[in-house]
Amino acid sequence: MGEQKLFFEDVNVGDEAPSLSHTLTRTDLVKYAGASGDFNPMHHDEVAAQAAGQPSVFGHGMFSMGFLGSALTDYVGVGNLTRYQVRFARQTWPDEVLSTKVVVTAKREEDGRKLVDLAVTLSNADGEDKVVGEATAALPSKT
Amino acid sequence: MVSEGAASDEELLKGIIGKPTGKARVVIERGAVQHFADALFSTSPIYHNPGAAREAGFADIPAPPTWAFAMEFSGGFAEMQPTDGPSGANPLGAAIGPLVAKGGLILHGEQEFIYHRPVVVGDVLVSEGSIVDAYQKESKGRTMTFIIQETKWSDDKTGEPVVTSRFNLIHRA
Repeated sequence: MGEQKLFFEDVNVGDEAPSLSHTLTRTDLVKYAGASGDFNPMHHDEVAAQAAGQPSVFGHGMFSMGFLGSALTDYVGVGNLTRYQVRFARQTWPDEVLSTKVVVTAKREEDGRKLVDLAVTLSNADGEDKVVGEATAALPSKT
Repeated sequence: MVSEGAASDEELLKGIIGKPTGKARVVIERGAVQHFADALFSTSPIYHNPGAAREAGFADIPAPPTWAFAMEFSGGFAEMQPTDGPSGANPLGAAIGPLVAKGGLILHGEQEFIYHRPVVVGDVLVSEGSIVDAYQKESKGRTMTFIIQETKWSDDKTGEPVVTSRFNLIHRA
């Protein structure tokens, strides 16, 4: 199916996953609200968001984590994550260009499993971090 | 007044540590998982095509990793909910309610998932939640309240663990 499989042996500390970039739109937020069931008006109702003192609607933290998760599973392979943790550092705003960064920080073996640790970041075009976290994946081995 | 309020907040928070937050049962459905993957620009054929998913070794289409947070709000049909859950008010609401009444902002501070196996379409999963920590910290002259809820999801048929979710809620006064 053209899915490229990542093997433990092919990964080196410092390797980076291909980056995903996306310009956030209000439609993205409405779509995510419907798909996730999170109808907090701060994420889709401009009138309510401004009444609450926000300049506009802003993105769901879980949208950011999810988008970063897409870059992660594209790289390590769907179903291979054993852990995924993030801290929500800043709000995301419509028209911001959000880019993922996934870097291999360690390789190790534990209980017969071949694990890679990754540092993950979602940031805007000015380099402001929106979401910062880490993940671990169990990768297939060639041996 | 202020110190009295802070003391009672602390008591309230200590009192909810270890308290159960409820049980749920959800069905993992293809349509819902599909919409979720699309909303996150997850373009892998494994998320969209059952044939591609099986070829990659899954029983059916797997859910994206953060579905474990959203699935509680989708596919939890009323007639299938566990009836043996804890009675009384949810301790999360009981602790957050009085803080929100005084104003301030609720923030999703951190989120963590521990995966034991992938969640796939056709799964029926059951959850048990509890408060694992609750405390306050002063930061830049503001009181920050942290409440951490852990939800353990397991396979309804086999009882095997599937995914554990840790949700870190912050109230900034």
